[in-house]
Amino acid sequence: MTGSSPEYRPGAYREAAAHSLRETPMVRDSVGSATRTFDSLRAHAYADVESDRWRDWARDVKGHALTHLDQYLEQAERSLVRNGVHVHWAATAEDVHRVIAKVVETHGVRTVVKSKSMLSEELDVNAHLESLGVRPVETDLGEYIIQLLDEPPSHIVGPAIHRSLDDCRVLFHERLGTPLDSEPDELAAAARAALREDFLSADLGISGGNFLAADTGTVALIENEGNIRLTTSVPRVHVALVGIEKVVPRFEDLAGLLQLTARAATGQPIGLFVSLIQGPRTGDEVDGPEEVHVVLVDNGRTTLFEDDVAWEALRCVRCGACLNICPVYRQTGGHAYGWTYSGPIGAIISPGLLGLDRALPLPHASSLCGACTDVCPVRIPIPELLIHWRERTVDEGRNSTAERLGMKAYAGLAERPGAFSAAASALRWTPWRAAGRALPVLSGWVQERDAPSPSPRSFRDLWREGIE
Amino acid sequence: MRVALFVTCLGDQFFAEACADAVRLLRHVGAEVSFPTDQTCCGQPAFNSGHRREALRMMRHTTQVFADAEYVVLPSGSCAGMVRSMYSGLSDTDEARAAAEDLAARTYELSEFLVSVADCEELGDGLTGHRVAYHHGCHALRELGVSDQPVTLLRSCGAEVIEWSADRECCGFGGTFSAKLPEVSAAMADHKLDTLPDVDVVTSADGGCLLQLSGRAGRRELPVPFRHLASLLWQGVAGAEAPRGSA
Amino acid sequence: MNTRDQILTAIRAARERRTPVEHPGRFGGWRPVEPPPPLEGFEAMFTQAGGEVVHVSGTVERDDWLRTFLAEFQHLSMGAGVPPGIADLGPTRINPGDEHAADVGVSMARGAIAETGSLMMDARDGRRAQLLPPVLVVLVDRSTVHATVADAFESARGDLSAAIGLHSGPSKSADIGQVMVKGVHGPGRVIAVLA
Repeated sequence: MTGSSPEYRPGAYREAAAHSLRETPMVRDSVGSATRTFDSLRAHAYADVESDRWRDWARDVKGHALTHLDQYLEQAERSLVRNGVHVHWAATAEDVHRVIAKVVETHGVRTVVKSKSMLSEELDVNAHLESLGVRPVETDLGEYIIQLLDEPPSHIVGPAIHRSLDDCRVLFHERLGTPLDSEPDELAAAARAALREDFLSADLGISGGNFLAADTGTVALIENEGNIRLTTSVPRVHVALVGIEKVVPRFEDLAGLLQLTARAATGQPIGLFVSLIQGPRTGDEVDGPEEVHVVLVDNGRTTLFEDDVAWEALRCVRCGACLNICPVYRQTGGHAYGWTYSGPIGAIISPGLLGLDRALPLPHASSLCGACTDVCPVRIPIPELLIHWRERTVDEGRNSTAERLGMKAYAGLAERPGAFSAAASALRWTPWRAAGRALPVLSGWVQERDAPSPSPRSFRDLWREGIE
Repeated sequence: MRVALFVTCLGDQFFAEACADAVRLLRHVGAEVSFPTDQTCCGQPAFNSGHRREALRMMRHTTQVFADAEYVVLPSGSCAGMVRSMYSGLSDTDEARAAAEDLAARTYELSEFLVSVADCEELGDGLTGHRVAYHHGCHALRELGVSDQPVTLLRSCGAEVIEWSADRECCGFGGTFSAKLPEVSAAMADHKLDTLPDVDVVTSADGGCLLQLSGRAGRRELPVPFRHLASLLWQGVAGAEAPRGSA
Repeated sequence: MNTRDQILTAIRAARERRTPVEHPGRFGGWRPVEPPPPLEGFEAMFTQAGGEVVHVSGTVERDDWLRTFLAEFQHLSMGAGVPPGIADLGPTRINPGDEHAADVGVSMARGAIAETGSLMMDARDGRRAQLLPPVLVVLVDRSTVHATVADAFESARGDLSAAIGLHSGPSKSADIGQVMVKGVHGPGRVIAVLA
């Protein structure tokens, strides 16, 4: 393999991960340090409260919403319309693009300020805006960095955690003219100044939505920088892209969900800024957008909902806690996964959103250590869902013939103890490196490790001879 | 206490002496140990890679083999986790589920059995002066809730269990994962090895993890000794003269 | 069938197979230890996040404090909800729409929350004034400090403006090399004046 980056698609996971480990070891350092910090903050924040109870509660609120999803979506639509919001339903990314194109056309939009939204990444909104001749400006500092680098985000919450301070110094020096030895606060001030211009001149703000309360039609957004508040407050028009799984029954439910999401994501009691948006500016308000659109986006979510096991993944609140604790994610960061959602949650929702064929081998990108489930604020049984997708891979005949036949043979042996122990003993004395050609499981092992030395005699033999 | 030992695939072939030490430990705490020779594989490799049908066949075989055992003890947290936490959900009939749940209720990882069933708190002082790092296998830790027991037992033998920031982070073994994604798996082992404090020996209740860590340490030519928990604990009972484990 | 109905139909078909989950009821904010009284709790949480808290005993003391504090600034933006009578404070008042030119802002909170150390900012007060100045003074009426977010939301639900913002400290980011910096987009300094 050469030094150039492998393709950005889930199917290239192994190559991309290997490439990242070999060619950019500093990514592992940056990601490892950021995720371990996030996770330790989360652990403290969980310990401050009765987090098991909080998580049970959140699991059930999201579970209740999902098992009544059609009703709450209809109620949310009624509430939003009552608040003066334009509601759109989008089955696909193209549907979303059409809504945005219409808004752009109607309002003669030239510049769009955007606040970090994974859904917008999933839908390729920036490329679409550029195709319309519109300039999209990412305003979250991390998103701003990766937009300048022309890279996708590598983490749900910290999109640029794979980049070091020195990377940023060089980038800002080249793009904003800051000195190469600038301190982080000086770099942030330069970004603030550049982005402030865009906030004041943009005609449209595009945000995501963390939650949508059905009863009041409230779009809730969590952040720390204030850029979401600005994106949704300063431009004349605001478009919120909201996944259909984000709806929750009641305004009061946000009380727990906002706090738990912040604790899970960054260990904070709550995001420094929370926006609770009901609709466009009303008569007694001095500012705010005159027009608000909410796009309810499916884009594969109903397919995930139709899966009788994997639907539980729709409870996800995108806190990134599973990424932070995942020992697999920690080695490479998110780019190796080849799509918007990385880490454990990416491995269980991508097969639903993209289709299993396009998402493989992501469900295998886990040692099934279970650390993710320990921290998930909505208690998604992630290892179970990983195994579920692996089972579907087998059921749909998408794994290799060698693996399928090998497992059948293995199970056959396991039912015949005499043959099993004979085969096991034979394997014990097989030189792994030489046998790797026939058994890929062995060549995969010896590629990175020494073959284990077998016991001189099997336990079976020791037992037969008597153990003292 | 009648204990049927389930040595597991790796135990039989790669940790045979450690399994023999498990027998010695169990006898030492008063158990009558048997080894049902029809035992084969618990089915975990098939289950974890999505081959449910094959896993089910192995589960049926295993529940039959251990149907009459009072206790089933495994020197492996991972395989014990498979039997105890996964069999019930894997079952395809009510009968199979009943058998699986019955077996689960009698199944223990070795250190867990020693502490929780055999009420063993003191083993000996054969590890006095030994600096030990304990790696928590993920399934022992999360599926079985085994975390204090092995450490308590090591300390009771006089070992100094050294703090290790990554002691609860996955080593990267993950069964077939280690062969399917060897580069990431090795990087995970590297994090463990790179954070390892200065110790005399690294131990774990899981043979798979020990193969992964020692195999990677070997490739990197790191002089770290690894031993299975059963062997180390038996050394704790019998002193340095005890038969040495194989790894 | 239109897109809306397609989506809803697909959801209904799958929902038939889902066991309904009951709503777990009101969020209880369960904690191992009893929280402090609301005023104390608010101050602890807000300052922990980097916010500042000033206590004044009444409107006279409040205005005195404001006059002293604002003396060092040039241009002031003022929320529409700030009580009349605090007109002549020193810095030049800038016009609505020009809040980005202000070096300090004064806004009126509709309430505060002890549990999270949050100020509840209402759109009726003016959103630009709450967000654009680098330094923001927020006036809070002590009687509007709620113990919990759930309490605050219950009391607010009948009177929701276009947007409510919860501000729980100065703007921050660790996106540059995981180093925490203040004042990235929103105010980098926030002072809650409790009267």
